[in-house]
Amino acid sequence: MAAVNGSSDLSSEMEVDAFRRLFPLRYHEYHLLKSVRPDARKLGSARDTTLALGAVASADGSALAKIGSTTMLAAIKMEVMTPTVECPDEGSIAIEFHMPPICSPLVRPGRPAEAAEVISKQLSDTIFSSGMIDLKELCLVGGKAAWMAYLDIYCLDADGALFDAALLSAVAAFSHLNIPVVSLNDDGRIVIVSEDNVRGKLEKEPVNKEKRKLKLNSPLFSLTCILHKNYILADPTAEEESIMETVVTVVLDSSYQLVSLYKPGGPVLAHTSVIQDCVALARRRVKELQNVLNEAISDMEVD
Amino acid sequence: MAGKTGSTPATYSPSPATRKKKRTPIGDADWVRPDNRSFYQCRPAYLRTGAVSTAAGSAYAEFGNTKVIVSVFGPRESKKAMMYSDTGRLNCNISYTTFATPDHGQGSDNKELSSKLHKALEGAIILESFPKTTVDVFALVLESGGSDLPVVISCASLALADAGILLHDLVASVSVSCLGKNLVIDPVSEEESYQDGSLMITCMPSRNEVTQLSITGEWSTPKTNEAMELCLGACSKLCEVMRSCLKDAVTDSKE
Repeated sequence: MAAVNGSSDLSSEMEVDAFRRLFPLRYHEYHLLKSVRPDARKLGSARDTTLALGAVASADGSALAKIGSTTMLAAIKMEVMTPTVECPDEGSIAIEFHMPPICSPLVRPGRPAEAAEVISKQLSDTIFSSGMIDLKELCLVGGKAAWMAYLDIYCLDADGALFDAALLSAVAAFSHLNIPVVSLNDDGRIVIVSEDNVRGKLEKEPVNKEKRKLKLNSPLFSLTCILHKNYILADPTAEEESIMETVVTVVLDSSYQLVSLYKPGGPVLAHTSVIQDCVALARRRVKELQNVLNEAISDMEVD
Repeated sequence: MAGKTGSTPATYSPSPATRKKKRTPIGDADWVRPDNRSFYQCRPAYLRTGAVSTAAGSAYAEFGNTKVIVSVFGPRESKKAMMYSDTGRLNCNISYTTFATPDHGQGSDNKELSSKLHKALEGAIILESFPKTTVDVFALVLESGGSDLPVVISCASLALADAGILLHDLVASVSVSCLGKNLVIDPVSEEESYQDGSLMITCMPSRNEVTQLSITGEWSTPKTNEAMELCLGACSKLCEVMRSCLKDAVTDSKE
């Protein structure tokens, strides 16, 4: 439509656009030759990242993470369960990653996206195996009651590097989590101690006066890279992911220890030196993300 | 279910008391609304277009605690199973997040609201302008704070405009609750939970046409008239806000 009354420089823009759609791989390779990406980023640098804590008022802990246009909303709701016989002094965490139809043209209602299930599993594997959260911290009354933390992450805008954004929002939601003060009532159920009760007559002693915050042993951060020929592209967009298929995801904790590494197939083989380069990029990224998280937390404390 | 547990054990929320609040005596003269608004005052509306980069058009709306995102995709190829059609098709879907409501829900699709959204928008869209193809309107309610459907409808028409779909006019929607003797506009969840009746109007203010009107509960004729006047007035004001939001988006992108 705009091309009808377009000036000369607009028509050349149209040509570039057409080239981009018709020969996406060549379009990207021209950029790679010049060590730059279509969005003017360097190969190894990630997109701008922002984090806002407490985005969902009805949740006990929540965070909104944005990496470029990729947007994730994570919220935690705390409920009470009876611990299992095998681990009577441990709570539990249920992690689910959702891709609602609003987030991408590829997702249709009624059919959950395959990617959502993969990322869901990958997230819970990563979080449980890292020991970032001590499940014993979620215990309320040994053998009788423990917390079940429902962590739901919604992808609001899917523009690549979904796992990185999802993990960032999850870690941020856990650091924002405020565990409600509860007590055990006469029926053996756990109930919230309301503000009035604290000030007025206190019927029951709260069972978790001290444990209002969940201790995170070492926050996790990740970086996804695309391998194409001998290039490494950090933090890919959805377009880049659709054209170049080999991805490597590196998860590090805040002391730069490797927690997990995923390379789900793809035509490019990852040699040791390539993996080392990816880990080096991830280390640099962890520093950035730590600052982003710390800033978000201190912003929250000021308010 | 993901997680270490394999099968999720039964859980309960530690705050069951919050939803069993004693009914406020609404007949009283000194009754005030939960958020201290006057009866005929709407919640402040925050609207923004272009919330989702991968969609053809999108909008975010926040009315008090009600927060929704609507994405529009298309016009794109209809499903293979669809019959040939000279006019375009409209496909609507509304879903809730698991944390939208106070209890941890299932976050499933809402078929009833989806069809109401479809009916409310159908009349405003010039379907002849995209034959053989489908426009998808998907909504996600991030937080449900009352008057969810009217907010979704208004937000959806903004997203359609953002996607450049031809419309007869923007569609604005407002609801009114009847509480005893009082009429309250743009009710919050708490008010909706003990309302005696509800009236919702979806209209195109500049054409003075109503695309959807639903009345439930007990209403007397004078009350109905009063409520309709209230809704129509609020709709045209909301439409002004929506229009200025679209204008702002254009001037921002030019800069």
